[in-house]
Amino acid sequence: MNQSLRMFGIALVALLPALATIGPIGASEPGTMIGTPTSLDEGLSTHGSEGKLAQQEFPVPYKPLPKTITPCRACHGPEKDFPVDFTRRESLLVHRNIQLNHGGVRVWCLDCHDPEDRNHLLSLSDRKPIPFDKSYLLCGKCHGTKFRDWREGIHGKRIGYWNGVKTYYLCVNCHDPHSPKYKPIEPMPPPKKPHTPQEKGSAERTL
Amino acid sequence: MSNDIKVQSESSTIDDQTATKAEAREEPNSPLPTARPTRRSFLAGAAGLLGMMALGSCSWQEFFQQHYQRMTAKEIDEVVERLKAQYREKYGQDFVVGTEGPIDGTLFGYALDIQRCIGCRRCVYACVNENNLSRDPQIQYIRVLRFKDGTMDFEESEIYYNPDDVPEEGYYYMPVQCQHCANAPCTKVCPVRATWTEPDGLVVVDYNWCIGCRYCMAACPYQGRWFNWGDPSVPKDEITTQTHYLGNRPRMRNVVEKCTFCIQRVRVGKYPACVEACPVGARKFGNLLDPDSEISRIIRTKRVFRLKSELNTQPKFYYFFAT
Repeated sequence: MNQSLRMFGIALVALLPALATIGPIGASEPGTMIGTPTSLDEGLSTHGSEGKLAQQEFPVPYKPLPKTITPCRACHGPEKDFPVDFTRRESLLVHRNIQLNHGGVRVWCLDCHDPEDRNHLLSLSDRKPIPFDKSYLLCGKCHGTKFRDWREGIHGKRIGYWNGVKTYYLCVNCHDPHSPKYKPIEPMPPPKKPHTPQEKGSAERTL
Repeated sequence: MSNDIKVQSESSTIDDQTATKAEAREEPNSPLPTARPTRRSFLAGAAGLLGMMALGSCSWQEFFQQHYQRMTAKEIDEVVERLKAQYREKYGQDFVVGTEGPIDGTLFGYALDIQRCIGCRRCVYACVNENNLSRDPQIQYIRVLRFKDGTMDFEESEIYYNPDDVPEEGYYYMPVQCQHCANAPCTKVCPVRATWTEPDGLVVVDYNWCIGCRYCMAACPYQGRWFNWGDPSVPKDEITTQTHYLGNRPRMRNVVEKCTFCIQRVRVGKYPACVEACPVGARKFGNLLDPDSEISRIIRTKRVFRLKSELNTQPKFYYFFAT
């Protein structure tokens, strides 16, 4: 079992650069399921170390990035004109729609986005790049306790089968990564008030 | 329909016979031939009339249908076929009336993250749609209570709140529905045992056996049961046709109904509708007997409480604090 896992890991490492050169992120259709039920079960049954964690797979609904800004390397490649700039700036030349409101002044774009490969997120400590559809690995680097709860199904949302294949919602399905606080929403209508003689004929009867 | 007519005509002839017999027997005692009905003939006639009225509102088979737990598999099949035909006639669609039994080794439990809930009532309306709840008169299995921060007095709570956006500053929300108590008071008071706890922990109602006395509603400390005061109305295009006999099949007037954790979904492995509808993922559902299930992990690792635990109803509905 361990050996097969290790083999899988080696294969993954060998494949990743190839995948990265192919182009757009993920390359999967919107709504496809990533990962398999078997790997999910493994992931849930092992309270594994960090090494194992990187290999866990969670089936998540794929949230495609806007076509206008992908692939990132179209602008941010090493041969392009946008040099890597680590300084914190108030207004950006592009990406003006992004209001960075995450972690106060402590967090800047390149704390999460890989400065050398914008098609991926900042890699893990073992230099494995994180694709956008596995962003939970990156979120978990700071939000460890939340990540633990999410992995176990306590935090966050799952749909599907309570005794079978579940679809996990990624952190970014609910929290905008650039402004992660959950946004208020409009409530559905309240229940009708019961009819009482005092309110007979008044407009308040059906609230 | 032809059955009904036959039955009614039979019963009426029997009544006529008994009535004439009664009159004939009384004649020698009375000095004059009576034009008025005697007490005996009146009672017989009234009984016959009542019987006809009762049978007129439902079929012979429905009237004499056995309790769900006492029916044989064949009888259940017949009932399901009859219900399907009835629903097809009423709603113009083919229904599935499931009778799936409990899955071995399951005891359903529910947990709700009370810190996460934003009081948006998405769960309420998902439940209404899934369970074919009556729109008018309105029945909603889930009540979302709004409390001021720092209080938990039910009498001070508000269910009619309607701000522009939720969550509101200074309030928290607590949805309440059937708690599926392990020691359920509602099932104990039912005089006809029309409600009971299934082996997988779901408290269910056999709507056809319920006599509508509402004792269970008085016994429930969570107001988790609802009575059909009028004929339930569900728009034809919003009806859910995937149903279960003990769950969301269309109900009739004068019966009590309640949340079943979506028995039609959970018995085939799916999450209840409210779990899938919650936009913040505050609702958790699973098997209490499985130590690796979400619900077991929550009970093991988080601070949980149950509503009115001092009543020893032992709910299987847990409220928890994720942090």
